[in-house]
Amino acid sequence: MKKLKETENILVLGIFLGVCAAIAALVLAYVAKVTDEPIKKMKMQEVNNALKEVLPAFDNSPGNNIYKKDGVTFYGAMKDGKLAAVAASGKTMKGYSGKIVAMVGLDLTGKIRTIAEVDGKKLSAVLITEQKETPGLGTVVCERKRQKTIISIFEKPGKDAHLPANNKILDQFADKEAGKTPWQVTKAGGKFDYMTGATISSKAVTGVVYNIAHTFAVNRVEIIKELSKAAK
Amino acid sequence: MSLIKDFTKGIWKENPVLVMLLGMCPTLAVTSNAENGLSMGVATTAVLLGCNIVISMVRNIVPKKIRIPVYIVVIATFVTVVEMLMAAYAPPAINKSLGIFIPLIVVNCIVLGRAEAFASKTGVVRSIMDALGMGLGFALALTALGGAREFLATGSLFQIKIIIPWSVDFMLWTSAPGAFIILGCFLAGMNKLNMRKAVKNGEVYIPPQGLDCRHCRLCDIGVEEEIE
Repeated sequence: MKKLKETENILVLGIFLGVCAAIAALVLAYVAKVTDEPIKKMKMQEVNNALKEVLPAFDNSPGNNIYKKDGVTFYGAMKDGKLAAVAASGKTMKGYSGKIVAMVGLDLTGKIRTIAEVDGKKLSAVLITEQKETPGLGTVVCERKRQKTIISIFEKPGKDAHLPANNKILDQFADKEAGKTPWQVTKAGGKFDYMTGATISSKAVTGVVYNIAHTFAVNRVEIIKELSKAAK
Repeated sequence: MSLIKDFTKGIWKENPVLVMLLGMCPTLAVTSNAENGLSMGVATTAVLLGCNIVISMVRNIVPKKIRIPVYIVVIATFVTVVEMLMAAYAPPAINKSLGIFIPLIVVNCIVLGRAEAFASKTGVVRSIMDALGMGLGFALALTALGGAREFLATGSLFQIKIIIPWSVDFMLWTSAPGAFIILGCFLAGMNKLNMRKAVKNGEVYIPPQGLDCRHCRLCDIGVEEEIE
């Protein structure tokens, strides 16, 4: 053993390192095989959670009823054997730090769904599922996070605690239909509000939501047909 | 007795972040809130523990000439294992915010530093204690840094608002400059405490290298002291 430690024979050194790498590769291959299933499940669950929030009650698994068109993935929610609503997930690279992925719930006419009304304010079926925006600025545009306070953790959850929290920017899209002209924030001459300090994030979110709604509006007949077919 | 010492030295006396100034990349990058700091600390501790055990076991057969590449292979393997396990079982929110920093544990000097300075020279049991102590010290330092930054920025800790009327976030502390400022304050406080302790015991306090600004002649701080 002493000999091995002090060896300078380049062949022995090479073989030793090779054996180490081979053992490492074996360990990694084993762990990758074991965790493959849970990782897939985790990702699927994330998609399903988002779907559950933007869609009305459904009795199929929209995560498996998929149709892709122009870079947007459409999920069909069935109720009693009929297509009830569609969720769509699309991405943009125009965020302040690149990729933003949005999940939008649409009804069959192409309107963006309203999940609920809380205190007279509409809660739109728009979720940002992936983003890397600046914490505190861009994330304010993207996140629907319920604020926990030192008091609220001891209180009983309110009656709308199961709903996602409201978000001034995302909730503007409730009941909107995508027309021919792309949506713009007021700064760019449009009619949607934006968040001061996060103009780029607001623009990107507005753009991606429009893109999703517009893709659906243009290909509505085809998408509805495809998604209804998959369920039969 | 020495086992306990191996464990406790990482927490205060040789704290990897606040005394040895190792692993600054994750320290500054992920500590925007206490939760991230804690989970990064736990992930690093897991890697550190695995690496120290394996390296102290093979320390007598690894040829001296290629010990560093072998250590890196071991560390990279453990990091990838931790990464996969986190993707599979950790809460999605934590996995998302830490995702890009986990692979960086490979080049975290703490892990390689402990492998080279401790695990390659001592037995398995002592190496385990060392890894646990260092990991705990790292996790505590990161959680404290993250907590301080989160509290100063939003008035909350672990995402729970402590000061309720605090409505507008103070973004300086969660961004990069805030990380440097808070870390500087922590290091200064650590130095001050250690200096006071040394003076009380009648010893001469020598700040750790890199924490002492007196060898630099850009300003006059400390010059008079030396002349006296």
